[in-house]
Amino acid sequence: MAEQISRRAALGSALAAAGALAAPAIAQTRERVARVWGEPGPYVGVFTNGLNEWAQRYAPGLRFEAEQIAWDQVYVKLTTDLAARRPPALISVESPIAYQLAAEGLLEPVEDVNRAIRAAERLVDGFRIDDFGTWKGTQYAVPLHHQGCLFIAQSDVLEEAGLSDPANWTWQDLLNAARAIQQKRPGMAGFTMALGRNLCGDYHIGQFIWQAGGLTWDPARNFETVFNSPATIEAYEFIKELYAYMPRSAVEFSFLQVVDQHVTGRTAMSLYWGRTMGRAADEARPIYEKMEYYLNPAHPRTGARWSWTDINGWVLPRRDNPFLREAKEALAHVMNSTEWMARYSASLFPNVGPVFKDQAAAPALQQHPIYQAKKRSVDVIFTGFVPHACNSGFELRKGISPLAGIAHGRNVWSQVAQRMLLNNESARAAVEWGHRQFEDIRRENRRLLG
Amino acid sequence: MRFRLSDRQVGVLFMLPLLLAVALFLVWPIVEAVRLSFVRYNPLRPDDQPFVGLDNYLFVLEDPLFWESFRQALVWTGVSTVAQAAIGVGLALLLHQPLRGINAFRGLLLFPYIVPTVVIALNWRWLFNAEIGIVNHLLLSAGIISERVAWLSTPDMAMASAILLNVWKYTPFVVIVVLARLQTIPTELYDAARVDGAGALRRFRDITLPQLAEVLAVVVVFRTIWTFNKFEEIYLLTRGGPGTSTYNLALYAFDQAMANLRMGVGAASGVIMLALLLAGSLLYIRLTGFGREDRAA
Repeated sequence: MAEQISRRAALGSALAAAGALAAPAIAQTRERVARVWGEPGPYVGVFTNGLNEWAQRYAPGLRFEAEQIAWDQVYVKLTTDLAARRPPALISVESPIAYQLAAEGLLEPVEDVNRAIRAAERLVDGFRIDDFGTWKGTQYAVPLHHQGCLFIAQSDVLEEAGLSDPANWTWQDLLNAARAIQQKRPGMAGFTMALGRNLCGDYHIGQFIWQAGGLTWDPARNFETVFNSPATIEAYEFIKELYAYMPRSAVEFSFLQVVDQHVTGRTAMSLYWGRTMGRAADEARPIYEKMEYYLNPAHPRTGARWSWTDINGWVLPRRDNPFLREAKEALAHVMNSTEWMARYSASLFPNVGPVFKDQAAAPALQQHPIYQAKKRSVDVIFTGFVPHACNSGFELRKGISPLAGIAHGRNVWSQVAQRMLLNNESARAAVEWGHRQFEDIRRENRRLLG
Repeated sequence: MRFRLSDRQVGVLFMLPLLLAVALFLVWPIVEAVRLSFVRYNPLRPDDQPFVGLDNYLFVLEDPLFWESFRQALVWTGVSTVAQAAIGVGLALLLHQPLRGINAFRGLLLFPYIVPTVVIALNWRWLFNAEIGIVNHLLLSAGIISERVAWLSTPDMAMASAILLNVWKYTPFVVIVVLARLQTIPTELYDAARVDGAGALRRFRDITLPQLAEVLAVVVVFRTIWTFNKFEEIYLLTRGGPGTSTYNLALYAFDQAMANLRMGVGAASGVIMLALLLAGSLLYIRLTGFGREDRAA
């Protein structure tokens, strides 16, 4: 009996030992998936293909998998997945969110990657690595692309209404043009922008505030809330005037609706990034033929033409991210390849602006049919707007703010517009409400300011 | 030695799966929500959850948006539930008629109820799109309206559109339940009433309605709870907008937890909703006298 038991025990021990020895081999053959979050659009998929090229060569069994996040769902995705302690390996993110996450201490420093890809030397003129997500001297983002929000107009409609060259317009010219077009073409909106309670609304409205000289928080005064300035009130009052020449439903518009409106010929002028031109080229050739991009109309007093710019970089969540080393090496692999980077930008032309000089000069971009046909507009989209580029995390280029991402989560800027347009509050009262919200955000997150 | 269970133990054994499921999916989330409502919890910093006492509840009760959402939730729930009950009873009476092919109609009626909410809400967004939606196109073509209606872009219309969607989707639930009850009412009651000279209206008022009373009480309680808690329809259709005109408490709780990164405040809103619904349900059941006959028997 005792002999039998000892045989069983021996057999069991042998099996356990074999299992333990085989475990690493089994683990190696099992596919591991590193999730990559990015904006909707083919470009993140293209980049992920590049990451997988690296994985196939250097990390068998690892696969990068793209997950697209709708623009308006970034915060839901972030909060749920970070709270569940299952972050993605990589996130392509706009700089206000990068600044916020960096200030929260949630990101992995990436100086090593930026050094490996010589980012500082290769960066296109007008941008610095720090713009993409540096916080307190540490780089947390690898430059990926830029996109400036610009003024788009249909040249045939403008000609028909006897309007001048939009390149020199001020706010007043824009208002007059919207009015003239609406009178000339009943049923067509003179102008369209997003005024819904969403990110796009925040972005479009922010541009007007900066053009008038307003700010949300002042980095020079320890991020004091300065939203309720006369400049901000002026910007909102102007938006209210413009709204008379917009579709009534603009108060629920987000990204997609503004593009829809333009490419279906329901508006003569709008604010948007490069995608409107790309979609018109795909779906509405007559609209595309007459479409031109310009810098935003200047504020009559300040002359400013600020553009809400996606200064988009890759960030790596630090906690609970088992793919830090692999993600960094794969990033360097793709970003050192001009070919992959050009393919990335060309995949949704001209929506994602090239961040590196070699990428911008690549034949895949220079010889793109849209670039060949619309050189002036594409130059505005890729390079012309750069001196006017800023965003809510980097207002008027005065300093990096970690608070803007939180405010975008709450859509405070667009909520102010909605109070004014839907609840008929005066611009001043609505702005005062917004000021209190921003002040609450500052008070609740004072720890981020250091 | 034979191992034998008593009847009582067998009963407990059979109940065990249910008890486990209830504990896991009902009790534990409620307990966790109550716990969260007493801590400050930023979902970006899940390891940092200091106890804050009643602060989250005070925040909610002092927030004007909470009260606005509460008022809107009452309108959304009240109008939706009454409309569903009224239309549901009407349709159930029609479908109770012994007509040829009536079963096909009964089947078709379930369609809105079985289609996923996300599909319906996104379709409705397109249908009611003020600029390129087919509803405006048809109404304009038929000359019923002279300019496009901003279905989802004005506060009143957005709330009406959201209610319309809810009524369209959930009325079939009322129909099924009421129809099932209608089919069990003894026909002798109607025959006797006819002999006594009672008209259709009288028969409905004195026979059908009292027979439906209990089932309607259950339906109204369920529909009230489900509609009051409803999140996805409003979120997908209007995101609570324009402005905050279609916010209800579920949306408020979600926004506080996710957008505002105040998970504790979101949980406190949820606990308040739970208390409100519990109180409302008890009051309603008491008023309708549900189950009184059983107790008397």
